[in-house]
Amino acid sequence: MIAERTTEDQVFAALSSPVRREVLRLLREEGPRPVQALAGRFEMSRPSFSEHLRVLREAGLVTERKAGRQRLYQLEAVPLLDVQEWLTPFERFWREKLTGLRDLLDRLEDEEP
Amino acid sequence: MSDDDLTALHLDQFLPHPPAKVWRALTEPDLLARWLMPGDFRLEVGHRYVMRAVPMPSTGFSGTVLAEVLAFEPERMLRLRWRDADPADDTDWTVTWTLEPEGTGTRLFLRHDGFDPDNPLQQRARRIMGGGWRSAVIRGLEDLLDSL
Repeated sequence: MIAERTTEDQVFAALSSPVRREVLRLLREEGPRPVQALAGRFEMSRPSFSEHLRVLREAGLVTERKAGRQRLYQLEAVPLLDVQEWLTPFERFWREKLTGLRDLLDRLEDEEP
Repeated sequence: MSDDDLTALHLDQFLPHPPAKVWRALTEPDLLARWLMPGDFRLEVGHRYVMRAVPMPSTGFSGTVLAEVLAFEPERMLRLRWRDADPADDTDWTVTWTLEPEGTGTRLFLRHDGFDPDNPLQQRARRIMGGGWRSAVIRGLEDLLDSL
Protein backbone atom coordinates (compact mmCIF):
# COMPACT_ATOMS: atom_id res chain seq x y z
CA MET A 1 0.00 0.00 0.00
CA ILE A 2 2.85 2.35 0.87
CA ALA A 3 4.37 1.78 -2.53
CA GLU A 4 1.08 2.54 -4.29
CA ARG A 5 0.61 5.73 -2.34
CA THR A 6 4.11 6.83 -3.24
CA THR A 7 3.41 6.30 -6.92
CA GLU A 8 0.21 8.31 -6.66
CA ASP A 9 2.07 11.18 -4.98
CA GLN A 10 4.67 11.04 -7.72
CA VAL A 11 1.97 11.28 -10.37
CA PHE A 12 0.31 14.26 -8.68
CA ALA A 13 3.68 15.94 -8.24
CA ALA A 14 4.55 15.31 -11.88
CA LEU A 15 1.27 16.84 -13.01
CA SER A 16 1.81 19.93 -10.87
CA SER A 17 4.17 21.47 -13.44
CA PRO A 18 2.74 23.25 -16.50
CA VAL A 19 5.82 22.23 -18.46
CA ARG A 20 5.28 18.57 -17.70
CA ARG A 21 1.58 18.79 -18.47
CA GLU A 22 2.50 20.34 -21.80
CA VAL A 23 4.91 17.47 -22.51
CA LEU A 24 2.10 15.00 -21.84
CA ARG A 25 -0.22 16.97 -24.08
CA LEU A 26 2.31 16.94 -26.93
CA LEU A 27 2.85 13.21 -26.56
CA ARG A 28 -0.90 12.65 -26.50
CA GLU A 29 -1.52 14.68 -29.63
CA GLU A 30 1.54 13.80 -31.63
CA GLY A 31 2.37 10.29 -30.44
CA PRO A 32 5.88 9.15 -29.46
CA ARG A 33 8.45 11.90 -30.01
CA PRO A 34 12.26 12.01 -29.97
CA VAL A 35 13.63 13.85 -26.97
CA GLN A 36 15.24 16.49 -29.24
CA ALA A 37 11.89 17.33 -30.81
CA LEU A 38 10.27 17.70 -27.41
CA ALA A 39 13.08 19.81 -26.00
CA GLY A 40 12.87 22.12 -29.00
CA ARG A 41 9.34 23.11 -27.98
CA PHE A 42 10.43 24.59 -24.66
CA GLU A 43 12.60 27.57 -23.90
CA MET A 44 14.82 26.12 -21.24
CA SER A 45 18.22 24.56 -20.87
CA ARG A 46 18.57 20.96 -21.87
CA PRO A 47 19.49 19.82 -18.33
CA SER A 48 16.34 21.50 -16.95
CA PHE A 49 14.21 19.80 -19.59
CA SER A 50 15.88 16.46 -18.89
CA GLU A 51 14.96 16.89 -15.24
CA HIS A 52 11.29 17.31 -16.20
CA LEU A 53 11.46 14.15 -18.28
CA ARG A 54 13.05 12.29 -15.38
CA VAL A 55 10.15 13.27 -13.08
CA LEU A 56 7.65 12.09 -15.70
CA ARG A 57 9.53 8.81 -16.16
CA GLU A 58 9.74 8.11 -12.44
CA ALA A 59 6.00 8.73 -12.11
CA GLY A 60 5.43 6.19 -14.87
CA LEU A 61 3.71 8.79 -17.06
CA VAL A 62 6.18 8.40 -19.92
CA THR A 63 8.56 5.71 -21.04
CA GLU A 64 11.74 6.04 -23.06
CA ARG A 65 12.99 3.69 -25.72
CA LYS A 66 15.88 3.75 -28.13
CA ALA A 67 15.13 3.91 -31.84
CA GLY A 68 18.37 4.01 -33.77
CA ARG A 69 20.30 7.00 -32.51
CA GLN A 70 17.22 8.62 -31.05
CA ARG A 71 15.52 8.27 -27.72
CA LEU A 72 11.74 8.22 -28.16
CA TYR A 73 9.37 9.30 -25.43
CA GLN A 74 5.91 7.81 -25.21
CA LEU A 75 2.90 8.58 -23.03
CA GLU A 76 1.75 5.91 -20.58
CA ALA A 77 -1.93 6.19 -19.71
CA VAL A 78 -2.33 3.87 -16.73
CA PRO A 79 -1.10 6.29 -14.04
CA LEU A 80 -3.44 8.93 -15.47
CA LEU A 81 -6.36 6.55 -15.09
CA ASP A 82 -5.45 6.14 -11.43
CA VAL A 83 -5.32 9.90 -10.93
CA GLN A 84 -8.65 10.37 -12.65
CA GLU A 85 -10.16 8.10 -10.03
CA TRP A 86 -9.07 10.66 -7.44
CA LEU A 87 -10.11 13.75 -9.32
CA THR A 88 -13.44 12.71 -10.76
CA PRO A 89 -14.88 9.76 -8.84
CA PHE A 90 -18.45 10.93 -9.34
CA GLU A 91 -17.98 11.68 -12.99
CA ARG A 92 -16.81 8.10 -13.40
CA PHE A 93 -19.71 6.87 -11.31
CA TRP A 94 -22.25 8.66 -13.48
CA ARG A 95 -20.60 7.76 -16.78
CA GLU A 96 -20.74 4.10 -15.80
CA LYS A 97 -24.37 4.45 -14.74
CA LEU A 98 -25.32 6.21 -17.96
CA THR A 99 -23.68 3.45 -19.96
CA GLY A 100 -25.76 0.97 -17.97
CA LEU A 101 -28.91 3.00 -18.67
CA ARG A 102 -28.23 2.96 -22.41
CA ASP A 103 -27.67 -0.81 -22.35
CA LEU A 104 -30.88 -1.31 -20.37
CA LEU A 105 -32.92 0.76 -22.82
CA ASP A 106 -31.46 -1.24 -25.70
CA ARG A 107 -32.46 -4.47 -23.99
CA LEU A 108 -35.98 -3.23 -23.23
CA GLU A 109 -36.41 -2.91 -26.97
CA ASP A 110 -35.96 -6.67 -27.28
CA GLU A 111 -38.11 -7.51 -24.28
CA GLU A 112 -41.00 -5.35 -25.46
CA PRO A 113 -41.04 -5.43 -29.25
CA MET B 1 -21.47 27.64 -15.39
CA SER B 2 -17.74 27.27 -15.86
CA ASP B 3 -15.77 24.07 -15.82
CA ASP B 4 -14.04 25.33 -12.73
CA ASP B 5 -17.23 25.25 -10.67
CA LEU B 6 -16.33 22.61 -8.13
CA THR B 7 -19.77 22.35 -6.56
CA ALA B 8 -21.61 20.86 -9.52
CA LEU B 9 -21.14 18.11 -12.06
CA HIS B 10 -22.83 18.19 -15.47
CA LEU B 11 -23.04 15.35 -17.91
CA ASP B 12 -25.26 14.62 -20.85
CA GLN B 13 -25.80 11.57 -22.95
CA PHE B 14 -27.72 10.91 -26.15
CA LEU B 15 -29.98 7.86 -25.91
CA PRO B 16 -31.50 6.45 -29.10
CA HIS B 17 -34.85 5.98 -27.39
CA PRO B 18 -37.85 8.31 -27.01
CA PRO B 19 -38.27 10.40 -23.84
CA ALA B 20 -41.24 8.30 -22.67
CA LYS B 21 -39.05 5.22 -22.52
CA VAL B 22 -36.14 7.02 -20.86
CA TRP B 23 -38.62 8.39 -18.32
CA ARG B 24 -39.69 4.85 -17.44
CA ALA B 25 -36.07 3.91 -16.76
CA LEU B 26 -35.77 6.92 -14.45
CA THR B 27 -38.98 6.32 -12.51
CA GLU B 28 -39.89 2.61 -12.43
CA PRO B 29 -38.26 0.90 -9.42
CA ASP B 30 -37.68 -2.39 -11.26
CA LEU B 31 -35.87 -0.56 -14.06
CA LEU B 32 -33.98 1.77 -11.68
CA ALA B 33 -32.64 -1.29 -9.88
CA ARG B 34 -31.25 -2.58 -13.16
CA TRP B 35 -29.13 0.43 -14.07
CA LEU B 36 -28.80 2.71 -11.05
CA MET B 37 -29.50 1.27 -7.61
CA PRO B 38 -32.25 -0.76 -5.99
CA GLY B 39 -34.66 1.29 -3.88
CA ASP B 40 -38.36 1.85 -3.18
CA PHE B 41 -38.75 4.83 -5.49
CA ARG B 42 -42.22 6.29 -6.05
CA LEU B 43 -42.97 9.21 -8.36
CA GLU B 44 -44.44 11.55 -5.78
CA VAL B 45 -43.03 14.84 -4.51
CA GLY B 46 -41.89 14.38 -0.91
CA HIS B 47 -41.52 10.60 -1.18
CA ARG B 48 -38.41 9.42 0.69
CA TYR B 49 -36.58 6.22 -0.01
CA VAL B 50 -33.24 4.47 0.45
CA MET B 51 -30.89 3.30 -2.29
CA ARG B 52 -27.80 1.17 -1.99
CA ALA B 53 -24.76 1.52 -4.19
CA VAL B 54 -21.09 0.77 -3.97
CA PRO B 55 -19.18 2.79 -1.35
CA MET B 56 -16.52 5.17 -2.68
CA PRO B 57 -13.78 5.30 -0.06
CA SER B 58 -11.82 7.94 -1.98
CA THR B 59 -14.71 10.38 -1.44
CA GLY B 60 -16.06 9.20 1.91
CA PHE B 61 -19.35 8.18 0.25
CA SER B 62 -20.86 5.31 2.29
CA GLY B 63 -22.78 3.89 -0.66
CA THR B 64 -26.20 4.20 0.99
CA VAL B 65 -28.30 7.12 -0.19
CA LEU B 66 -31.29 8.68 1.57
CA ALA B 67 -33.24 10.09 -1.33
CA GLU B 68 -36.28 12.30 -1.69
CA VAL B 69 -38.31 13.34 -4.71
CA LEU B 70 -38.14 17.15 -4.86
CA ALA B 71 -39.91 17.90 -8.13
CA PHE B 72 -40.83 16.40 -11.47
CA GLU B 73 -42.46 17.11 -14.81
CA PRO B 74 -43.40 13.87 -16.58
CA GLU B 75 -41.01 12.96 -19.39
CA ARG B 76 -39.14 16.25 -18.94
CA MET B 77 -37.55 16.65 -15.53
CA LEU B 78 -36.94 14.79 -12.28
CA ARG B 79 -35.19 16.39 -9.30
CA LEU B 80 -34.02 14.36 -6.30
CA ARG B 81 -32.29 15.10 -3.05
CA TRP B 82 -29.53 12.68 -2.14
CA ARG B 83 -27.97 12.53 1.28
CA ASP B 84 -25.42 10.04 2.56
CA ALA B 85 -26.97 7.63 5.07
CA ASP B 86 -23.84 7.90 7.21
CA PRO B 87 -24.80 10.52 9.86
CA ALA B 88 -21.16 11.61 10.08
CA ASP B 89 -21.39 12.68 6.44
CA ASP B 90 -23.14 16.00 5.87
CA THR B 91 -23.41 15.43 2.13
CA ASP B 92 -26.51 17.09 0.69
CA TRP B 93 -26.73 16.68 -3.07
CA THR B 94 -29.37 17.54 -5.62
CA VAL B 95 -29.55 15.31 -8.67
CA THR B 96 -31.56 16.68 -11.59
CA TRP B 97 -32.40 14.75 -14.73
CA THR B 98 -33.63 16.71 -17.72
CA LEU B 99 -34.91 15.03 -20.89
CA GLU B 100 -34.95 16.77 -24.26
CA PRO B 101 -36.19 15.13 -27.45
CA GLU B 102 -33.40 14.95 -30.03
CA GLY B 103 -34.30 13.45 -33.38
CA THR B 104 -35.95 10.11 -32.66
CA GLY B 105 -34.11 9.85 -29.37
CA THR B 106 -33.49 11.76 -26.17
CA ARG B 107 -30.69 13.88 -24.82
CA LEU B 108 -30.51 13.17 -21.12
CA PHE B 109 -28.85 15.85 -18.98
CA LEU B 110 -27.58 15.14 -15.51
CA ARG B 111 -26.79 17.87 -13.05
CA HIS B 112 -25.35 16.80 -9.71
CA ASP B 113 -25.15 19.81 -7.33
CA GLY B 114 -23.92 20.29 -3.83
CA PHE B 115 -20.30 19.13 -3.83
CA ASP B 116 -18.26 20.66 -1.07
CA PRO B 117 -15.41 22.71 -2.53
CA ASP B 118 -13.65 22.43 0.83
CA ASN B 119 -13.59 18.65 0.62
CA PRO B 120 -10.00 17.74 1.52
CA LEU B 121 -9.66 15.39 -1.43
CA GLN B 122 -10.63 18.11 -3.85
CA GLN B 123 -8.48 20.62 -1.99
CA ARG B 124 -5.53 18.33 -2.37
CA ALA B 125 -6.04 18.16 -6.10
CA ARG B 126 -6.48 21.91 -6.36
CA ARG B 127 -3.40 22.65 -4.32
CA ILE B 128 -1.33 20.44 -6.54
CA MET B 129 -2.76 21.58 -9.82
CA GLY B 130 -3.07 25.29 -9.18
CA GLY B 131 -5.67 27.46 -10.88
CA GLY B 132 -7.59 26.01 -13.76
CA TRP B 133 -6.67 22.46 -12.90
CA ARG B 134 -10.07 21.16 -13.72
CA SER B 135 -10.31 22.48 -17.23
CA ALA B 136 -6.66 22.00 -18.04
CA VAL B 137 -6.09 18.58 -16.61
CA ILE B 138 -9.42 16.85 -16.54
CA ARG B 139 -10.43 17.82 -20.05
CA GLY B 140 -7.06 16.63 -21.23
CA LEU B 141 -7.46 13.37 -19.38
CA GLU B 142 -10.91 12.86 -20.83
CA ASP B 143 -9.68 13.46 -24.35
CA LEU B 144 -6.88 11.05 -23.72
CA LEU B 145 -9.12 8.37 -22.27
CA ASP B 146 -11.61 8.75 -25.09
CA SER B 147 -8.83 8.23 -27.59
CA LEU B 148 -7.54 5.00 -26.02
